[in-house]
Amino acid sequence: MSGDRRSRRLVALGVLSMTLVGLLAVRLWFMQVVDAPAVAEAVEANRTRTVVLLPERGRIFDADGRVLADNERVLAVTVERAVIRRASDRLALFQRLSGPLDMTVDQLEDRFRSRRYDPLLPLPVKEGVNEETVLFLRERVEDYPGVGVQEQWSRDYPYAPLASHVVGYLGAIRESEVDFYLSQGYLLSERVGQFGVEQSFESVLRGTTGWVRYEVDSRGNVLRELERLEPVAGRDLVLTIDLDVQQFAEESLETQLRSRRQIAARNPRTGTGEYAFPDFPPAVPFKAPAGSVVVLDHRDNSVVAMASYPTFDNRWFNSGVSSSRFAEVFPVTEDPDESILVNRAIQGRYNLGSTFKPFVAYAALSTGQLPGGVEYQLVDRGTYRLSDASVDSTQCGVVRCEFRNALCASTNRPCTYGVVNVVDALAVSSDVFFYKIGDEIFTQRGGAPVLQEQVRLFGFGARTGIELPYESPGMVPDAAEKRRLADAGVISRDEGRGYYVGDNIQLAIGQGLLSATPLQLAQGYAAFANGGRIMRPQVVHSILAPGTPDHPTLPGFAHLERATVLERKARPDVQRVVEMGDGVGDAITKGLTRVITGPGVRNLQYHSTTGERLFRNYPYEQLPIAGKTGTAQGLGNQPWNDSSGFAAYSLDPQAPYTVAAYLEKAGYGSRAAAPVVKCIYMALVGRTPLHPVLLSDPLDVTMPWATPPRAMPSTACLAGQFGFATE
Amino acid sequence: MSLVARTRRTRPSLGSLNSSPADPWRNIDWVLMGVSALLAIIGVAAVYSATRPVLVRQGLDPYVFAERQVIFFIVAAAVMALVMALDYRWIAERSNALYAATLLALVLVLIVGAVKSGARLSFDVGPIAIQPAEFAKASLLVVMAWHLSEERTDEVSYPRFVSSLVLVGVPLVLVVLQPDLGGASVFVAAAAGMLLVAGAKIRYIVLISTLGLMTLAAALFAGLVDRYQLGRLEAFLNQNSTESRLQPLVYQVRFAKRAVSSGGVTGKGWLEGPLTNGGYVPLQWSDFVFSAITEQFGMVGGGTVLGLVAIMMLRIWRTAQLSKDDLGTYLCAGVFTMLLWQVFQNIAMTMGIMPVTGLPLPLVSYGGSGAVAWAIMLGLVQSVHMRRLR
Repeated sequence: MSGDRRSRRLVALGVLSMTLVGLLAVRLWFMQVVDAPAVAEAVEANRTRTVVLLPERGRIFDADGRVLADNERVLAVTVERAVIRRASDRLALFQRLSGPLDMTVDQLEDRFRSRRYDPLLPLPVKEGVNEETVLFLRERVEDYPGVGVQEQWSRDYPYAPLASHVVGYLGAIRESEVDFYLSQGYLLSERVGQFGVEQSFESVLRGTTGWVRYEVDSRGNVLRELERLEPVAGRDLVLTIDLDVQQFAEESLETQLRSRRQIAARNPRTGTGEYAFPDFPPAVPFKAPAGSVVVLDHRDNSVVAMASYPTFDNRWFNSGVSSSRFAEVFPVTEDPDESILVNRAIQGRYNLGSTFKPFVAYAALSTGQLPGGVEYQLVDRGTYRLSDASVDSTQCGVVRCEFRNALCASTNRPCTYGVVNVVDALAVSSDVFFYKIGDEIFTQRGGAPVLQEQVRLFGFGARTGIELPYESPGMVPDAAEKRRLADAGVISRDEGRGYYVGDNIQLAIGQGLLSATPLQLAQGYAAFANGGRIMRPQVVHSILAPGTPDHPTLPGFAHLERATVLERKARPDVQRVVEMGDGVGDAITKGLTRVITGPGVRNLQYHSTTGERLFRNYPYEQLPIAGKTGTAQGLGNQPWNDSSGFAAYSLDPQAPYTVAAYLEKAGYGSRAAAPVVKCIYMALVGRTPLHPVLLSDPLDVTMPWATPPRAMPSTACLAGQFGFATE
Repeated sequence: MSLVARTRRTRPSLGSLNSSPADPWRNIDWVLMGVSALLAIIGVAAVYSATRPVLVRQGLDPYVFAERQVIFFIVAAAVMALVMALDYRWIAERSNALYAATLLALVLVLIVGAVKSGARLSFDVGPIAIQPAEFAKASLLVVMAWHLSEERTDEVSYPRFVSSLVLVGVPLVLVVLQPDLGGASVFVAAAAGMLLVAGAKIRYIVLISTLGLMTLAAALFAGLVDRYQLGRLEAFLNQNSTESRLQPLVYQVRFAKRAVSSGGVTGKGWLEGPLTNGGYVPLQWSDFVFSAITEQFGMVGGGTVLGLVAIMMLRIWRTAQLSKDDLGTYLCAGVFTMLLWQVFQNIAMTMGIMPVTGLPLPLVSYGGSGAVAWAIMLGLVQSVHMRRLR
């Protein structure tokens, strides 16, 4: 035995061991002291899960407190991403889930692949799951690793389809909006307002999200709650819409459109007795596919009713029906007549026809275009020939030099109204009177857009600014607009080269390139009623603090007396005041009153005003109104393509309503649109029966249409004793 | 320090008139005993903390594993007492039988052993699984020490060196076949340590190391090494790999490292380790137990474990010095190297500076076979210590 050498070797081993243990100690120190702070963050992120708590969306009420948009608490089943990352695990779990959730594995797989869901959050595999299913899954936690349940909100519209276009609906965040909503702190899976007030007041209605942070284990199972910030519910909205009026407006519009489809327009004959449109039969039924009605309170231009037909039930958007079923109900169509998801009251771009004449009259009177103003008279012989100042007479034939009044039914020739002033011209809708204005206001001022400037004062050619999405600005044509249209390819380059007197003459009777929405029309008429104030129409009456309670006794109503108003929005928002002095406003109102009451003018025969026969049985003493018909010529000037407009305002400060209606391809203004407006005024004073406004039955997802047809209780107000009225 | 240790022959405090100071039972190394017991207690606590969340989640008794571990240690203590009672020389004289039994057990486990994650490591006898490789460590230690101590010179002759390699080589191959590369590495470490102390020429050791590495390289190229074992090496070399095949390995180490780091200086507190409670580190109760200790007790806990191991090694090293014969020295040297290698490899892989091999932390990790095997080895060391004066 040689202790020394052995011991030397043992010492070597000892040194080696101390080196290794020292190495471990150094490594331990490095990791736990130097590395620790950086790692702590990574660990925190990994072992906690933050779940966003979605706020309850604000509710939407009508002016009386009816709950137009409500929320329902629903349960959604989610799966942790970690447990389904591997295809084999995912398949196994999806196979087990497909039974209880009543979904195929493929459907679940589609969810997994969908880009609609945040990849960092548990995947929602099914919404609206019932309590039993949740219980079933909870009792079998081992078989369903990573499967969780989230409480979510589902939107309900208890009075659907009433005011669907105004209330709107929710939808998934569109691809193009992803960045915006993510920057606003939304989850990709959230549903956001996609139409109506739901869209325009999204930020008010949504509320503030809360969150809860859980400690989780490696499989994503929640161990305990660490922190919680409760969400703040969205604010409630009270609309200016009165559902009683809204329902009646929708019903009367639909009833009238349907009844117009039963009526045919005659194919006119030319002087030689042949049909003007030989390709068509002697009579062609009106298509009357669509229309809209606006009822404004012209004290502050709050929208009392806004109807658009065809309409829809906004509950379709969270009914969970398949996309093919959805496409059956909301067909994708090239034909603008058929489109449903369009609020025609603010998106329709229409020729206004003669309903535009009061604004032209205003332009002429306020700019001194008519010598003698309201006293000015001319002799209407049924046709208007351009003056030599306007166009070289040798050019006639190349350009149109002669413009005619509408045909009188009795003679089949242009009506001749004889001596008319501005009041008469409005009452009987003398085109010649306005042709002359259109000609001279243009030519005598060297082609300056005076008429355009004047009518733009009433809001034409610009959005009213109503807080609803997709509003159209319409257009008042002038040289610049024509160039723009030509550049956009809407009209030919040749046509767009310049703005001519002929264009201005068309504009003077509301035809040609003029386009406006029914809401703009109502806003303009409201100005005649309220002393010239052009006010932004309001659809939201007030914003309430979250949590307005339900009414204790009235089902379907919120208890507005208990609500806290945060912001009152329905107050006059005056954009400008149009000067109505020097009897200008009075003359126009006088002319428009005669449209309703008569008399017309007598020249060889009696020419009634365009409305007097229709309004013969109207309770004028109870609610005096002034209004104007309009017929906008459509494609090919074929009579069955005529669109019908009518706008009117009340002269009674106790019932301060302005009503505009526009029915597409439905015939003369006096026949299609005016009866609707008349019915609405009669309804406003209780002279025609109304259906009670009831809570809706559940949505029938098997029905063949977006909403079932409806009709007004009595059509007596529509018919009246109007006989034949001319335009 | 070594001088002091070497010259202290007796403990005056243990002096008694009733028995000889050389009585083995009066010469137990109580420091080693106490340190071992402390490590075992830390082990039970760590095993409890790492298994509790898993058991609770499965609706089981959270104490099941900890209780079993306590039972293992009771059994281990009894075995240790038995080994201590026997003279190590008497045991070593039965080397042939021991060696034969070891080989038989290792062959048997390859044939009838229970398959767990692709390896045959154990016999399942009712509720307990016996891993013969753990016991083979102890028996090989004895056989090897006996074989080397028969050398009468101061150095290991070449024939004895080669025969030693064969002696280790046969069971080594059997363990590799299981496959249990970690266990095999312990054999190699122990043999190397013993050969070194016994006086093998450095060139022999260099030669054998080179040969060993070449064999390993050849095996890698020939595809003899299991893909999984290879993956451990790949995962070690690229600890941020995103290759899906390596993900379980990468994540195991990543979370083990995070657990260690997030412990900081003082730790998250007993049963307060989020990663431990979340079950983020697979096998945290066995191979990765050190991550549970450091997450909960921080550097204080990790340092304590390292310190206790260091004291253990010191005491074993001291016994190696004190041994009255070469056999005892070699036994202690073998236990020492084995402990060193196993502790180093285990803690180093937990901290990401060695590739993952399935080596538990001695006395701390959950496992009955390991506990009993270490009890045998520590019993041998005690036996050497107890009989150093005889």
